[in-house]
Amino acid sequence: MAYITSVNKLRLKFPDEKGLLFKDLTLSFKKGEKVLLLGPSGCGKSTLIQVLSGLIPYSIDIPIKSENIQIPNSWGFVFQDPDSQFCMPFVDEEIAFVLENLQVPREEMPERINELLDMVGLQLEDIHTSIQALSGGMKQRLAIASVLALNPDVIFLDEPTALIDEEGTEQIWNTVKNISRDKTIIIVEHKIEQIIDFVDRVIIFTPDGELLADGNMTYIFSNYKEELKKYGIWYPGAWEDFKRENNQKTVSLRNDNEVHLKNFHGYRKKEVKISLEEALIHSGEWIAVNGQNGAGKSTLLLSLMQLIKTSGDYQINEQSIKKLADLQRKAYLVFQNPEYQFITNSVFEEITYELKGGKEINNEYFHKKANDLLTIFGLHDKQHQHPYHLSLGEKRRLSVATAFIQNPKLLLLDEPTFGQDAQNTFKLLELIESERQKGTIIIMVTHDLNIVQHFATRVWEVKEGRVISDRKKNETKKKVEEKAYEYSI
Amino acid sequence: MNTAFKENWLHKINPSLKLLTISFLFVFAITIHHFNFMITFTLSVSILFIFCTGHPYKHILLFLLPFLLIFLSTAASMILFGKGETTLYKWGILHITEESLYRGLHLGLRALTFAMMGLLFALTTKPVQLFYSLMQQLKLQPKYAYSFMAAIRLIPIMIEELQTIRDAHKVRGVQTQKGMNSLLKSIKSLPIPLLSQSIRRAFRIAVAMESKRFNSSNERTFYYQVGFSHYDLLFIGYFILSISLAYLFAINFPFFPVSDVRY
Repeated sequence: MAYITSVNKLRLKFPDEKGLLFKDLTLSFKKGEKVLLLGPSGCGKSTLIQVLSGLIPYSIDIPIKSENIQIPNSWGFVFQDPDSQFCMPFVDEEIAFVLENLQVPREEMPERINELLDMVGLQLEDIHTSIQALSGGMKQRLAIASVLALNPDVIFLDEPTALIDEEGTEQIWNTVKNISRDKTIIIVEHKIEQIIDFVDRVIIFTPDGELLADGNMTYIFSNYKEELKKYGIWYPGAWEDFKRENNQKTVSLRNDNEVHLKNFHGYRKKEVKISLEEALIHSGEWIAVNGQNGAGKSTLLLSLMQLIKTSGDYQINEQSIKKLADLQRKAYLVFQNPEYQFITNSVFEEITYELKGGKEINNEYFHKKANDLLTIFGLHDKQHQHPYHLSLGEKRRLSVATAFIQNPKLLLLDEPTFGQDAQNTFKLLELIESERQKGTIIIMVTHDLNIVQHFATRVWEVKEGRVISDRKKNETKKKVEEKAYEYSI
Repeated sequence: MNTAFKENWLHKINPSLKLLTISFLFVFAITIHHFNFMITFTLSVSILFIFCTGHPYKHILLFLLPFLLIFLSTAASMILFGKGETTLYKWGILHITEESLYRGLHLGLRALTFAMMGLLFALTTKPVQLFYSLMQQLKLQPKYAYSFMAAIRLIPIMIEELQTIRDAHKVRGVQTQKGMNSLLKSIKSLPIPLLSQSIRRAFRIAVAMESKRFNSSNERTFYYQVGFSHYDLLFIGYFILSISLAYLFAINFPFFPVSDVRY
């Protein structure tokens, strides 16, 4: 059987790192295979498909050495970030860009563009639609359409759904399934629930980029579950296992906080963008905010943080909140991209920034507190590093740590688990959960239904700029918990 | 520009031709030293600017506001401190002469025409059309054209990002501290996250473009064929005619009894 793409004895070294990433890696793929590459963050899965496609070393300058690399004759590459793989402002122009590169005559372009958009199920009223107006899922499907324009034998997908919500993820995989006949598909992905029945070969890498296992789904999941768990790869049942292992840790409620909202509105450019009729929130509650892209979930958090204009009644512990300054030591918002919130040059300074308030700290208490936090968050060894040099999961943990040191009464989080592997997600959720048990009120925007199911105690649904439903999840479970609190107090 | 507007004939002119014509008029405006001609020249440009861009008058007036300021500041500095013989008014170091008054107004008008011509171009040209035209008519290399188009796409994303970073820093308490030092710190803290995001994004887009077989050495076809039409003749015709008329009018019926404003 002929192989369509392969590497033989590949060695690769990143300029800033000491060791080799791959040591004589040999791997080949047959025509028509649907392959899933799994491994912990930083094991080189993405790098490998960039080598297989020839992006390394032709577009990305990284030294490699190998006996032989077979690059497929025609291939397409779908990237992770929907906002940084397009170069044109409109849908039709973006696909036309690919057609131009292939020197397709101009007269044939409009027909071809419509055809491609049909293939990925993007029914637009006008093909001349601004890409900016599309949702994440639609953008990724557009990316698939423009890759299909290349008529590829092999399609590489590098975590195409990592930054996409649940609904978009489903659309993307349905599209991939529809177009994949006769094509070789090589996927790198953490969230694998939706593609288990689709791929017919799974390859697992160790953290050092060595091959651990290679086989079909059933074989992998029956023989390598422990490794998957250890490496933080999502596998079916990961959530259940996590909950089973980390259950029944009831800590007594130390504080009792209360947030009260009535006729609360948030404005952008003098227009009401989000409104909430009435809500009373107590310590121990973890609210998951659901809703489609653009429904107003993030706007709700910005309003609660007083970063946009608001009106109505907003009280924390019976103190009225009118502006950002009123929220000091009361509320804290963790943004989606942790890098936005870093302002100093080392992890340690980052953690102590709020404490010293611009002054040098000599106080032993602060040192101790900062050290405690660093230990809890697993950042102690990295405390002198620049925040930008941390891994994605560490950056996220650091940004949450800076929130914890303020001891906020109300902690707001915007998609904190986006694009994280299982290990980092669980670690983070554990930390937030322990904060909740200390009495901090958690309001978290999330697309992940697993979090809603396993962690949240209350769900807000946002639709078209309004909080349309507010339901307490699992009343009975909560009562039991409350009882536990009662006894411990 | 994302404001709603009608497309009219100025939008249909070949962008390269429009660019060249307007650049030529820029140079031409510098060579005008005749005050009366400058007035009529300004009129002929402003007719196009005010009535033919297809944007609502309200927007046009709004766009004009900053340029009136430019007009006033350019004119005022020359009027108040310029040299001249016939004194009109003198108070301390302020010394207004007839010559400096005309010269100041002349410079002010020149600044105003520059602004109007620049806006005329910007308001009636889509970036994508401009770069397609530059590639087709002026043989600009595709690698430059597409880098510019990709960069233009990044601008709104960057503006949005800047706002988010500022909010994120506010939450961290960057702005709540008082004093010069923390103000400086808050200004200093913005460019690093913004640039680090943009550089990475630009790199990713570049890789994505190459993965879609973008190759500057290859021949390519074009989705938009940008050609010439009778509107181009109309555009050039308008300027030839209106400028000639402006010149004749200014020579034969001068508004002010001055010719050359140079002193």
